Amino acid sequence: MIGGIPLFATPIYDVVIIGGGPAGATAALYAARARLKTVVIDKGLTAGSAGKAQGIANFPGIPGTISGAELVRRIREQAASFGAEFVNDKVLRVDLSTDPREVWTGGGVYRGKAVIIATGSMGRSRYLPGEERLVGRGVSYCATCDAAFFRGQEVAVVGDNDEAVEEALTLTRFATRVHFLSPTRDLRASPDLAGELTAHPSVVYRPATRVEEILGQDRVEGVRIASAEGTEVLPVAGVFLYLQGNVPITDFLEGQLPLGEGGCLLVDENFQTAVPGVFAVGDVLCRHLKQAVVAAAEGAIAAMAADRYLRGRPQLRPDWSK
Amino acid sequence: MPLLNDEIRQEVSKILADLPGPVRLVMFTQEFECEYCTETRQLVEEIAELSDRITAEIYDFQADRAKAEELGIDKIPAIAIIGAQDYGVRFYGIPSGYEFASFLHAIQSVAAGKPELSDATLRVVAGIQKPVHIQVFVTPTCPYCPQAVMLAHQLAIASPLIRADMVEAMEFPHLAVKYQVMGVPRTVINETVHIEGAAPESHVVVKLQEALKA
Repeated sequence: MIGGIPLFATPIYDVVIIGGGPAGATAALYAARARLKTVVIDKGLTAGSAGKAQGIANFPGIPGTISGAELVRRIREQAASFGAEFVNDKVLRVDLSTDPREVWTGGGVYRGKAVIIATGSMGRSRYLPGEERLVGRGVSYCATCDAAFFRGQEVAVVGDNDEAVEEALTLTRFATRVHFLSPTRDLRASPDLAGELTAHPSVVYRPATRVEEILGQDRVEGVRIASAEGTEVLPVAGVFLYLQGNVPITDFLEGQLPLGEGGCLLVDENFQTAVPGVFAVGDVLCRHLKQAVVAAAEGAIAAMAADRYLRGRPQLRPDWSK
Repeated sequence: MPLLNDEIRQEVSKILADLPGPVRLVMFTQEFECEYCTETRQLVEEIAELSDRITAEIYDFQADRAKAEELGIDKIPAIAIIGAQDYGVRFYGIPSGYEFASFLHAIQSVAAGKPELSDATLRVVAGIQKPVHIQVFVTPTCPYCPQAVMLAHQLAIASPLIRADMVEAMEFPHLAVKYQVMGVPRTVINETVHIEGAAPESHVVVKLQEALKA
């Protein structure tokens, strides 16, 4: 198996945007419209907080209620109509010291003269009891990487989004049984994926189920779960976690940008970080008002600032005449 | 039937176009080739065709025992990547999937002979007095693994006392059991210290120092 290596082959983009929520997708819309070669890397429509929102009733110009996922889909469509590219992938790390900057994903390295970070604030803030002790001892965050170690065994997948469902389906090829433990009553995955999961003969789907503890000393021996039916212990050898929380997602920066309290990003009035040409917008920022319209506006400002940066104009000079 | 299609050959040729020095890909297989030995040999031969500065040398693990011992090769398929000197950069198992990137990166780095590491790391590495053996367990489908492999190989290039192996866990199940590999990447330093996941350079250096104290 040789493949999966467009690694060094990707063209150089003017702007690489990490995260495709209201902030990232609007930045893409403005950047692409300014004829900048633009790519957005995102984990999926329902990966972020807007994508999760059931109904948004106060987005200007959109009367009535619209689901967050539909709003984001429309902004993306509009951005794509101006030439922005969208890639469904996970960003693993970045190198902001190179020129162009490098953004490493599962599928390859994207190089951009400017980078806009719009990763939101749904990072996890705390471990489950037993999790930290058992990382690499049966606790995993990557079924694609580790599924083969659980051939012929029972495993649990914890989560409710597209990523969790896709990873659970990968595990069905190796494990005898996959317990899918969703913290929510309904899956936040696309209907096709959700249907494939719940119909799968080796999947036991357990909605509205909380993991209380991962059990085992040297390796995972089970999980203690709680639901309306009470508490029970599932004897599993592996636990694959795809949970989300409420802290800014900045771990992939590995200290390359200064962080505020709680790991949020600090920017100037043009949404530029301490590294010139690297911008940040949306919920990943410190003291951020968590509103889709605010995130979108910031995306627009950052894209215009990136345009000026790329054209060698240091000052942001809005053109009031238009 | 070649392993690399025309498109990939073109891309790889570009990547390997300006190698600053010669590189030898010393590959070990055996007469009745093991699982993936054939593909690994073929991969090495196909890569060598793409650059004048790369040569492929194929050895038989049984018949060329002395050569294997000289290079510290103890299992196959194995590739030692050797530049102006032998930096101790090794691949055990086929460098396919995501590991193909680690493989190309190792060729570039060995050709240059200059480690891409921070000054702080280089200072620590310069002070090492004892031999260090780093083994990075991977699977070809693991996007996080190349980061760990590349870092280990950079450390090997930085110090004559450090050798670093990529080990494809599926091809060496006895080693996966011995080192209790249940998730990748898993890095084992001098048999004693281990790191789960792709850790930043500074963390790996701390663990390296820990292993040296043990």
